[in-house]
Amino acid sequence: MKNTLRQVFHSSKFVGGFIIFALILLTMIIYPLINPGNPLEQIGVGTFAKPGTYVSLYDSLSSPLETMRLPGADDKRLAKSLSDEDRVAMVEWFTAMDISVEGLDITDTDAMLDLWFANYDTSAKPKGMTMAKRNYYQRLNNNLLDIRAGDTLVIATNNEETGELEEKSAVTKTDYVNIGEVANVKTLPLGTDNFGRDVLKQLVSACGTSIRIGLVAGLVATLIGLSLGLLAGYMGGIADDLIMFVTNIFTVIPGFVLLILITNSVGQEQRGATLVAVVIGLTSWTWTARSVRSQVISLRNRDHVNLSKLSGHSMIRIVLTDILPYIASYVVMAFILQVSSGILAEAQLSLLGLGPRTTTTATLGLMMNWAMLYSAHTNGSWWAYFPVILTITLISFSLNLMNTGLDQVFNPTLRD
Amino acid sequence: MKKKTLALLLALVMALSLLAGCGNKNDTPAPTPDTPPADTQTPDTPDEPTEPAEPAPSETTPGGDLPRTETLYFAGQQWGTVNSWSPIGSNQNNAMAVTGKAAGSRTLMFETLYMYNPLDGSLTGLLADGDYQWNADQTEMTVKIKPAAKWSDGTPVTANDVKRTFDIGVQVGNGTGTGFGAYIEEIVAQDDSTVVIKAAKNDAGQAKNPLKILDFLSATLIAQAAWIDTMAARNNNDSVSILNDAGDDVVWSGPYTKYYSDDQKVVLIRDDNYWGQDASMWGKLPVPKYIAHTIYADNPAGENALKAGEVDVCQQFIGNIQDLWLKDGLPISTFYQEAPYGMCLTMPTAWYNMNIPVLAENPALRKAIAMAVDYDSIIANAMTNQSPSFADVPRSLMNPTDGEQALYNHDAVKDLQWVGNDIEGAKALLDEAGLVDSDGDGIREWNGEKISLNACCPNGWTDWQASMEIVAAAGEKIGVEITTSFPEWSIYQTVFTQPGQTEYQIFMYSPEAATPSNPWQRANQFLGKEYVGVENNWSGNWGQYVNEEADELILKIPTTTDTNELKDIYTKLVEIYLTEVPSFSLMYRPDQFHAVNESVWTNFPSADDGRNIPPMMCTDGYGIAALYDLELVG
Repeated sequence: MKNTLRQVFHSSKFVGGFIIFALILLTMIIYPLINPGNPLEQIGVGTFAKPGTYVSLYDSLSSPLETMRLPGADDKRLAKSLSDEDRVAMVEWFTAMDISVEGLDITDTDAMLDLWFANYDTSAKPKGMTMAKRNYYQRLNNNLLDIRAGDTLVIATNNEETGELEEKSAVTKTDYVNIGEVANVKTLPLGTDNFGRDVLKQLVSACGTSIRIGLVAGLVATLIGLSLGLLAGYMGGIADDLIMFVTNIFTVIPGFVLLILITNSVGQEQRGATLVAVVIGLTSWTWTARSVRSQVISLRNRDHVNLSKLSGHSMIRIVLTDILPYIASYVVMAFILQVSSGILAEAQLSLLGLGPRTTTTATLGLMMNWAMLYSAHTNGSWWAYFPVILTITLISFSLNLMNTGLDQVFNPTLRD
Repeated sequence: MKKKTLALLLALVMALSLLAGCGNKNDTPAPTPDTPPADTQTPDTPDEPTEPAEPAPSETTPGGDLPRTETLYFAGQQWGTVNSWSPIGSNQNNAMAVTGKAAGSRTLMFETLYMYNPLDGSLTGLLADGDYQWNADQTEMTVKIKPAAKWSDGTPVTANDVKRTFDIGVQVGNGTGTGFGAYIEEIVAQDDSTVVIKAAKNDAGQAKNPLKILDFLSATLIAQAAWIDTMAARNNNDSVSILNDAGDDVVWSGPYTKYYSDDQKVVLIRDDNYWGQDASMWGKLPVPKYIAHTIYADNPAGENALKAGEVDVCQQFIGNIQDLWLKDGLPISTFYQEAPYGMCLTMPTAWYNMNIPVLAENPALRKAIAMAVDYDSIIANAMTNQSPSFADVPRSLMNPTDGEQALYNHDAVKDLQWVGNDIEGAKALLDEAGLVDSDGDGIREWNGEKISLNACCPNGWTDWQASMEIVAAAGEKIGVEITTSFPEWSIYQTVFTQPGQTEYQIFMYSPEAATPSNPWQRANQFLGKEYVGVENNWSGNWGQYVNEEADELILKIPTTTDTNELKDIYTKLVEIYLTEVPSFSLMYRPDQFHAVNESVWTNFPSADDGRNIPPMMCTDGYGIAALYDLELVG
């Protein structure tokens, strides 16, 4: 046993897969400790907040101020609200309104603004200008007004009695706060999803659920496949014919279609993670059964098996002690593959809206399903689906890598 | 070796499944609701492509490419092959040509007497000449027909056409018949150009509901009497076959007619002999020569086409629509520049099923769930803020328009309104009502059974699905088990319209938007007894809630003319509604989404252009006026 393990861990492929998988498992265990709480909690109101650090504007106003004169601060501010395209668009507007732009330097912000405020009229409708363009100029005008506003922004509170605004404090362009002093700062490394839930937190939790689903599905599939394969292979005759008949039927019916039909008929109310896992297991055991059977057939006429038979050992004992150990390594590899395909099957099912209930669990497939329903792929919210795809790929990749590694160790024909 | 092939196979399966994952995105979401179900409930029965009605102009062939600068493209209305062109049928899905609704019928091919404008509630004559006249006791309405109004075969539109359209509707039981048959006793053609609509009377001799007659004016698409006769004769006067008639030989009065239709698109072509170019109507023809609607697989497909400039007017919900112009810089606009971007006229509502004892007998439970729901989250998530919040427009029976909001006393019901996410308040309410968790499993019990409900809406209607998820999340917070369930629309529609159903316990559907008869109609849908127990109920009160007091008040409204009294009644009704909570609205929502791409066409209506044209897709009610003002860009 010890020797086998040493052998296994000498395979670089297995070790690579094992390390990736262990890292994923470790993250699943450690991350919830760092960032506890319900992964399905809707923290953001609104859809798809970008990844990044969010600072409470309200709290930062009451944090201690530092005055800093950073070089280029004004330029940055200006560039943010008045891009080069905006400057070109301003000139276009002047041209459309027949305003002379001779001698105007578009990099000269003051001159541009002077000319703009002297001429711009929100109700003007230059001929041939679309509504979309007019709306754009109105928004631009608002931005320009902000640029022209004074250096100080006044924070005021509303006096309940008089109904008047009372100045509380003022913020100038050189005021800065230390992010560490602000009471509420939230870092969302992967932003939020369509429900305003923390994607990273959900991803970690979903990863756990999906691996559990994969394990249960793999276990169910391997158990059924193994026992049927053992029986068919060892007993032969009518039992073999019968079992292979059933197996062939299941092989012919596309497993995924069967899976869709079953989960759909179960209905969403009963569809928990475990049930989905069991259903996946129930539809994917056939190839395990077939390959176990063929291995058993080649084993059953070996001398040590015959010896056991002559000694009058029961069938169960023979199967368990004389046959199973010889195919154990193969079963382990089959199990790993079943786990991997179970995880994928769940992702596909959930993507079709046939996964577990949304409010109770997060799974990788459900995350993708909602991202897709909210067109994350077309509106550029990559963080809602790409990390999920990456995670699924990594899990499958690591499991398959481990499988290949094992193969090299146990399969004599592949041994160096 | 075997294992190696197996691994290879597995890798292949993995790659394929990833591919399948990518491909699947087009399969799940179904179109969000657009028109009221009366017209859309039937499955799409593919039909043979219909032949063009008119010979094509030289270079454009039916089914071929259309000249882009003469075609206005739509999205979000037609989701299957057109199966009928008959305005009398009720089993057709022809959204562009045959959509009748009181909030503004689509008058591209067939026309109504009046065009409704939800912006100010006005009715503008289309086939009708001038204003309608009530007699002194509001039991008879006289409508004149425009002398210029002509059918496509050149014969004038007469009063008899209106009468025949109504009569056959009652006879075969189409939308016109079932919707107005109970309120209109008969329509008399006094002479060729004078229609007299006689209201059905109640016991007191008053008109049963004069408001419904106003709806008739703006909802009913008028068909030609002679054509109805021909059509009825070929169907042996059999109701079912009349309702299913394909109407390929139909005679129309509108500015457009059928040109081409198959499973890819439907195209209407301008009728250059349209009577409306007469000075008494528009004085000109509508600008686009073709109206085309590509049949898209789903919402994302239509949305992408809008972004690409392949669609000019899009009636689809588009999340975070402002990103299209703010981030992507596309020439796309909506009616209003700022949120909520559209004209919100209706409020998708979650209905409590009163056939479920725990809901029927516990108003506290109903109110508690409604109070706990995080509406801000729904509006921000499901509607991406394209709806006013319930703090902006407090909940009542009214939609957010100023006209309806002025109809009830806001201060009188202030204490009853809730803005949501009030978990503690909801818990207190449940505790007080004795609905407590006595076995410690976190779920409250009633009569010894744990309170477990489902929340349902059609699959693929993503904004509604998200809303139901948020309702379920609220339930979890207050100790009521709510699970979501999303059946397919084809199944959903057969279940929730049955009066005795217990399958869906909290389920979503929208009440009427803005029509001449609202908010009365909506109050009736929320609280009225009229629809309780009705089979195939598409009309209202899907939760089967009965309240005698409310019902009496509702019956009084149509004949009440004194505005103060009206306001009192509405205030009382809002009070009952907010106390009893037979249903709760989740958001406000436009009747028609209206996003336009100005890559080809411009001069679409906008809120500040002073033209008073509503954002109704340039086709519905008075919204069609926009078609006459369109211009090409550049």
